[in-house]
Amino acid sequence: MSFLQPLALIALPLMALPIIIHLINQQRHRTIPWAAMMFLMRAKRMSRGMARLRHLLILLMRVLAIAALIFAISRPLSGGWLGSVGLSKPDATLVLLDRSASMEIQDLQAGESKRSTALKRLAQLLEQGDYGTHLLLIDSASGQLQEVDSPKALLSLPMVEASATSANIPGMLETALAYLKANESGRAEIWICSDLKENDWDVHSGRWNAMREEFAQLEGVHHFLLAYTDPPANNLSVRVENVQRWERGNDAELLLDVIVRTEGGSASVTAEGRSVVRRVPIEFEVNNVRSVVEVELDTLGASLQGHRIPIDTKLNSGWGSVSLPGDANPLDNRFFFVFSEPPVRKAVIVSDDPKVGEAFRRALAIPTDVRLQHHVDVLPMNRVAEIDWENTGLLIWQGTLPSGLVAEQIQHFVNNGRVAMFFPSKLRTPTATGEQFFASRWGDWHSTTGEQSDTTGDISWWRGDADLLAHAESGDALPLSELRTYQYRTFESQGTLLARFDNDAPLLTRVATDQGAAYFCSTLPTAQFSSLERDGVVFYVMLQRALAEGCRTLAVASQRDAEIDVLADRNQWEPVASAESNTSLSQRGLHAGIYRDSEYWAAVNRSQAEDNAKISPLETVDALFDGLSYRRIDVNVGDTSALASELWRIFLIAMAIVLILEAVLSLPSRKTESSPLIDLTVAEGTTE
Amino acid sequence: MALQLKRDYLNQRVLERLSTLQLHARLPMIGNVSGKHRSPIRGSSLEFAEYRKYVPGDDTRRLDWRAYARNDRYYIKEFEADTNLRMCLIVDTSGSMDFAHNGMSKLDYARRVAGTLAYIAALQGDAVGLYCAGKEFHIEIPPKRSATHLSAVLDELGTIEASGETGLADVLHETAERVPQRALIVVVSDLFIEPGVVRNCFEHLRFRKHDVAVFHLMEQNELEFEFDRPMRFVDMEGGEPILADPTVIGTQYRRAMEIYLESMDEVIRDTEVDYHRICIHEDYGDVLARFLLGRTPKKRK
Repeated sequence: MSFLQPLALIALPLMALPIIIHLINQQRHRTIPWAAMMFLMRAKRMSRGMARLRHLLILLMRVLAIAALIFAISRPLSGGWLGSVGLSKPDATLVLLDRSASMEIQDLQAGESKRSTALKRLAQLLEQGDYGTHLLLIDSASGQLQEVDSPKALLSLPMVEASATSANIPGMLETALAYLKANESGRAEIWICSDLKENDWDVHSGRWNAMREEFAQLEGVHHFLLAYTDPPANNLSVRVENVQRWERGNDAELLLDVIVRTEGGSASVTAEGRSVVRRVPIEFEVNNVRSVVEVELDTLGASLQGHRIPIDTKLNSGWGSVSLPGDANPLDNRFFFVFSEPPVRKAVIVSDDPKVGEAFRRALAIPTDVRLQHHVDVLPMNRVAEIDWENTGLLIWQGTLPSGLVAEQIQHFVNNGRVAMFFPSKLRTPTATGEQFFASRWGDWHSTTGEQSDTTGDISWWRGDADLLAHAESGDALPLSELRTYQYRTFESQGTLLARFDNDAPLLTRVATDQGAAYFCSTLPTAQFSSLERDGVVFYVMLQRALAEGCRTLAVASQRDAEIDVLADRNQWEPVASAESNTSLSQRGLHAGIYRDSEYWAAVNRSQAEDNAKISPLETVDALFDGLSYRRIDVNVGDTSALASELWRIFLIAMAIVLILEAVLSLPSRKTESSPLIDLTVAEGTTE
Repeated sequence: MALQLKRDYLNQRVLERLSTLQLHARLPMIGNVSGKHRSPIRGSSLEFAEYRKYVPGDDTRRLDWRAYARNDRYYIKEFEADTNLRMCLIVDTSGSMDFAHNGMSKLDYARRVAGTLAYIAALQGDAVGLYCAGKEFHIEIPPKRSATHLSAVLDELGTIEASGETGLADVLHETAERVPQRALIVVVSDLFIEPGVVRNCFEHLRFRKHDVAVFHLMEQNELEFEFDRPMRFVDMEGGEPILADPTVIGTQYRRAMEIYLESMDEVIRDTEVDYHRICIHEDYGDVLARFLLGRTPKKRK
């Protein structure tokens, strides 16, 4: 229990007042000569039982009445979760609001989402209580920290509105931690409002340990988690997995892969447990033309692969959307997509070795789909200046690491979302000290065939879940185990390892970059160095994936996940269609919609993780705050009651009841006045 | 009888008011001179007592000839003998009698009651004796009829003081044995002794053919026990003081008093004593008038 006027509790010792008065009264006795001592002694003997208990009860009632009055004056708040931490005033209150799309799940009766309910209840609580000198908001969409004037203002800020983004709870906590450390705040309360989705919390991240240790060093920081973990009663989400525009003869059409997912209970099971087929209409809108397709839902949902929508052949690019009927979460009922003609996939191979260059060219020139156009240039080092950086998606660099202007160009190239792959130079001279690129540096050549070699050249591990060496869509692994490497060149890199030899030397590494990707491969495809070219499959898939990723930004239409700077690459993005009608400039990119900048199109939607993510187990989340002052408050989206309510009325009523009881106990017992024996004023006297 | 009254506890007006009333014994008395009270011995008063058969030796002058004429039998006509009364005033002088109300203690009240009764008895020619008892007799004036004796009794009444424990029960038993002939025993006390003990005393006195009258003096505070704060009650008879909160034990006190009075009523019913429960704020003149009127014999039809 916490109190709005905790200073009033100082008066609690006044509870002892009745006892003190009683004791003083005992001491203030008068002395009186008394004749009828025999009755007095009898009365004392008789009063040892119930009468004494009654007297003690009266005393107790008086004590309780004063206690109730003091508690009423101190304005207590309900909510055991506040505990003793609510007894003192915080210097700062930080509200960490999860604005992710999954927080928009509504209670259909109340019409309030998890986010809005959490905000209202929190604002009400803070309004009632004392939130300290500073009230700060960190919203998950922007990740920025902003000071708020009052709890009521929390409800009207654009930074608390619904968004299609995902949340980064550890990042928000790091922002809060940085603020607390920078401002040397004393007592602070951190309120986290979230639905505990796994993708938002990233509970397995190593950041949590470091953060927990740093929070533990701060004294007086209390964490409160408003956990909205209740699943929706019934929710469907729709997502377009793939959009392609094809032309067949004189006709043009869109091919869409659409996924419908069910959440919160089986969509095809009735309340009675009978299995029924449920059909859901999916509405497609392309170029203001609507069409509806009904799909059957199973327990997981439904998928619509290769759904064809005919379009005008003149419509080279455009946008569309896929919609579901309204349900618990309005944010996942519509998915925007954009389409355009597939761009020419252009790759540039920079190599002074014609054989190596040719190996790369052959692997890149053959498209995975006949409808795609690939264009590959092989250039020697001295013709690097001829590279058309704007229209190239993949750069293969085989040779010494670039420097100077070329290095800057490649850096810019990668930062624009393209892909660069670096292969070692054949030169066996050690590289000069300091010759490094993307914080990576080539080492020495090693042979796997020599007697002194510590490796057989076999690949002992590779990352099969993502990136260039990921398993095929069928789930089959790439045949890296069949790959033979005869010579490889070590390199130092801080990047993410994608494949390594049995002596732990890296084969392929991806360097961390903000946009795009830079890969370093330690061998060459030719037969002298490895079986990459000869076996072909791994080499082909790896390069084709790199080319596809690098050319993604070449398309005039792009699918993007909603986040704060998703539209930062161009200045003239204008909204064409949006789920939110009044989107401010600063909030663009946070909401699902279509944006256009001349010939370029961008469809912004919630990330795939928002549809897939499960709720983190409560125990796991609790464990993240081990050793910290932490309270979790489990709330339901439909629960709109106040987080804490003032209880002074209850205490006043309690006081009144106690006083009535005291009065009842103090009432003189029915006596005796009617007894003629004692009423001697009318005594007749003679008894004959 | 003109008696020069010098005792300030006696009220002239009360005496004058009560002088028209007479003190009667409820039982026949055996006196040594003629008086106004019935005697168990047949005498020559005008009050017819009974007929009895003539036996040789009887005074023939007392034969009822009319009865002989009617029945042809000899009957002796007997008349009541009027005799005087011995009244023994027993005044309790234990410490508890010093308990006062508005300046008048129970002993003051007892003094007035006893003094007035002594005066009335002496006025009608009865013998008056005084026994003052604390733990034991400390004043003992046997009943006599003379005016000087009355003066001595009244003087003693004026000087008695209350102190010490009560020994009323022993005194009553002793009185029962010590007073040889039938007498009117008037007890003036607060009777703060167990009812069972009181019962024994009264039965003893009744067994000795005494006419027993009791003035049970009480004070209103003792009955009601209305105090609003803790008090230290000091025993007026020398016992241990008691610290008590009347708000806590008031009810029990009144209950104990009620039980005591109920028991006393039973004792009175069983022993047939002339019992008067008096609160000392009452006018003693009224109390005595009520007492005297209550004892006035009813006229025979």
